Amino acid sequence: MGHHSNWAEWIYIGVVISLMAWVGSEAWNAERLVDHIPADAEVIKVTGQQWFWTFEHEDGTIEKGELHVKTGKAYKFEVTSKDVNHSFNIHDYVVLMDAVPGRINTVWFAPTDVGEFPIQCREYCGLIHYNMRGTLYVEDGST
Amino acid sequence: MKSIFGLFLVLAILVIIPIVDYAFAAGDEPGQYVDRRVIIWNLFYRMMTVAFTVGAVVSGTIIWLVWRFRESNPKATPTPYEKEGIW
Repeated sequence: MGHHSNWAEWIYIGVVISLMAWVGSEAWNAERLVDHIPADAEVIKVTGQQWFWTFEHEDGTIEKGELHVKTGKAYKFEVTSKDVNHSFNIHDYVVLMDAVPGRINTVWFAPTDVGEFPIQCREYCGLIHYNMRGTLYVEDGST
Repeated sequence: MKSIFGLFLVLAILVIIPIVDYAFAAGDEPGQYVDRRVIIWNLFYRMMTVAFTVGAVVSGTIIWLVWRFRESNPKATPTPYEKEGIW
């Protein structure tokens, strides 16, 4: 029986493992950066219920259906629900976190662009899920 | 032995470079926070590039194989069954 060289197979294994290691490390790194909440982030409690969002700031101010934040500051959302599963989504800032009753999920962001951005629910929660929306108002934080 | 060492050296470099690159990239002072949109969308673009490249290589290989080993290919050689007429 002739002995055949298997360098081609080793190269194939090397390429596959390299690709998986690269993809894995890039994804792990992105998650590490995105999940690292700055220590000075202002906490905002987000409560979802059928079919609207309530926001409570650190100073006790409560907003319903809209949220006012400033540029240049970090905000940490503690997201929960009062009834069924919802999902808190600010599409333009890639903020997406499930609102689960009895549980607090955490997500943070630091807005950079002044303007109005839609907030929506991204987990089917009943008849008016499609219209469970809000508005994020980002104001200039330098003034 | 040398080939395995070379293989692991290449792997080590390919894993360490993106990690070291990003470990020094993020600033955390007030007003200097990472932009999650940039991180997430860039990751998406890189993953899409990898996915389409791998897809192109795999599907290109399959297409080449199917075309090369079709029965009507002038380079096709008869199988032992066709040569000897024994099934």
